[in-house]
Amino acid sequence: MTDPTMSPSAASPGALHWNEEDVRGFGMAVGGPGKVLRPTTTEQVADALADVRARGGNVALRGAGCSYGDAATNRGSYVLDLSAMNKILDFDPATGLATVEPGVTVRDLWRKAITFGYWPKVVSGTAAVSMGGAAAMNIHGKNNYALGPFGECVKSFDLMTARGELVHVTAESDPDLFHAAISGFGMLGCMTKLQIQTKRVHSGRLRVWGIVARDLAHNLQILEDLRGTADYLVSWVDLHAKGKGLGRGLMHRAEQLQPGEDPEGVRFYEPALQDVPTTMFGVVPKGWLWPGMWCALHLGQVGLVNALKFRAGHLEERGSPYLQTHGAFHFLLDYVPRWQWMTRPGGLIQFQPFVPMAESERVLRTIIERCQKAGHVPYLGVLKRHRPDAFLMTHAVDGVSMAMDFAVSRNEARRQELWKLCQELAEVVLEAGGRFYYAKDAVLLASSFARVHGDEAVGRFRALKAKWDPDRLLQTDLSRRMGV
Amino acid sequence: MSSRTGTCIVVGASSGIGLAIARRLCLEGRKVAMLARREPELKALAATIDDNLGQPAAFPYVHDAADLAAAEPLFARIEQELGEVDELHFVAGVMPEVGPDEYDLAKDRQQVEVNMLGCIAWGNAAARRFSERRRGTIVGVSSVAQDRGRVGRPVYNASKAGMDTYLEALRNRLWRRGVRVTTIRPGFVLTPMTEGLQLKGAIAADKAAELILRARDDEKAVAYVPGKWRLIMFVIRNIPSFVFRRLSI
Repeated sequence: MTDPTMSPSAASPGALHWNEEDVRGFGMAVGGPGKVLRPTTTEQVADALADVRARGGNVALRGAGCSYGDAATNRGSYVLDLSAMNKILDFDPATGLATVEPGVTVRDLWRKAITFGYWPKVVSGTAAVSMGGAAAMNIHGKNNYALGPFGECVKSFDLMTARGELVHVTAESDPDLFHAAISGFGMLGCMTKLQIQTKRVHSGRLRVWGIVARDLAHNLQILEDLRGTADYLVSWVDLHAKGKGLGRGLMHRAEQLQPGEDPEGVRFYEPALQDVPTTMFGVVPKGWLWPGMWCALHLGQVGLVNALKFRAGHLEERGSPYLQTHGAFHFLLDYVPRWQWMTRPGGLIQFQPFVPMAESERVLRTIIERCQKAGHVPYLGVLKRHRPDAFLMTHAVDGVSMAMDFAVSRNEARRQELWKLCQELAEVVLEAGGRFYYAKDAVLLASSFARVHGDEAVGRFRALKAKWDPDRLLQTDLSRRMGV
Repeated sequence: MSSRTGTCIVVGASSGIGLAIARRLCLEGRKVAMLARREPELKALAATIDDNLGQPAAFPYVHDAADLAAAEPLFARIEQELGEVDELHFVAGVMPEVGPDEYDLAKDRQQVEVNMLGCIAWGNAAARRFSERRRGTIVGVSSVAQDRGRVGRPVYNASKAGMDTYLEALRNRLWRRGVRVTTIRPGFVLTPMTEGLQLKGAIAADKAAELILRARDDEKAVAYVPGKWRLIMFVIRNIPSFVFRRLSI
């Protein structure tokens, strides 16, 4: 990220200098060399698109690069990295409405919002995600069953189309484009400005409960029982546990506080007090933790670590409820800086099936058992509740999702085996009417595209692609893999 | 200081240390007049505090600390609207970017007006009343920058030194009348003013506010925040000039 951004003066099409870089997904397991440019203005975005058009190439749009797989990579071709367009253009302290450039991160937004008693409605497990990326992938948080995906807090966006036109889009002005560009993984145009609605919070903290889930059925039951009342629900799952304890874990439930409930919480409107701590026990810098995790993973001790974590969950349950800052509750992935490095050199992929409620226990049990049998047990599993939404390329179902992180071997045979396993698991999910999420996926085949979304939705998406980007200027490794 | 029940005034309450002090004073159960320039932000910040506490505690007053003539009438108006004031925190301050060869009188003037004269205007208004009532507390947020004149920001140093000396004189004048004056010299604190500067070991504004209110309770004359800066500045103050002029600190 040290290379210079674009020069302010626009060169003639075909003459811009693109920087050769290794462009990978967050999981490091997929991606490869790409020619990268980092615009700082909307005009430069137009220039960059014109430049690629003049060269007869194709270009991928990339935000903070937090998609695990190949959603923002473009091997051997052009990558427009929007992370330098990172200004919050306006934040209205009376309403909590933010106007942002696409490279503004969740972190930038919450730091601004919390000062005035607001919090983004939908946040991911890491605050590094960009607004443009969050909208394009239509990310979800731990409250998806209640507030829906990120797209539902987007009031409007400016979309730079492949032909260089700038269109202001709202759900009213062009409902089709609005609901397809959000969730459309950067296929219909580049968002250059977004209006994001944040929500009022009455304290800088949340009330949090840790709840031990004995097994998979219990885990799913807690989600069902609490989704009517809890503001946030997320469960960690020990995917190494077998037999009676299969699918056991620790559920976290959080609730917003009401005015007057937590006076001390007024201090926590200061962003610095929201940050996750940078040291463990006040002394050990967390930047040093990933090598320890690397050892656990590469010495095959993940099962032990999971079992210990499960035991520790009982302690947390006894100490519940407790008060925790929004930042500390939401951004679990930011607790250990560079944690994904523990999967080096092979990197990781995430497999996150979304399964309708009625089929959830059977499908998830099958998946966990098959993983254990195949000897590819994810080191991490995360269970969440979802609800359907109106976005065209939605991944949500009225059911649950289980995100599973697999370490990828550098051994090609083992790697192929993992891909094959995931594709077999995907078959189980698709047969049950399940879905997948492109911010995570790295393994689906083109034949699955219509099965995930249905022929009608895929037809409409392809028609919109033909309308707004007839020359298929906007492409990614993902879009080619899915045969968009 | 058992008598601290009256209204507080915080000048410069819309960000950083001033905002953190205002929040903590509200948390102590005090009525707090929050003074700052930008109306929408100030109003929203005060409303946020009230919303959290579930009761009115923060009262926004739009004020520019450089508007010296406005201090006296505004003090009177606050007392009229919120009741007798017995605590003043002057936290307003500006620190514009200054180039190594820049001598811009407009920037210099702004710093003297806000940092030094603003403090004097509010200090006088408070001193007059507190002295007559024989009680009250004045806290002025100066800076470690006041301890030496340095190459980076000559007039920031000078304005803070002027303010600091004024506060010392005020402390000596008012001590015999039962009024306490505490000078705060913060080191590195994470605030919008210091955003973008790489400050190693900087503390949160809320932590600074906690230490400032503790210094107030302990009736300290001068408090470095955090305390380790007393030692750091002792060393820096004792660097001989022929060495100091060659350093870039």
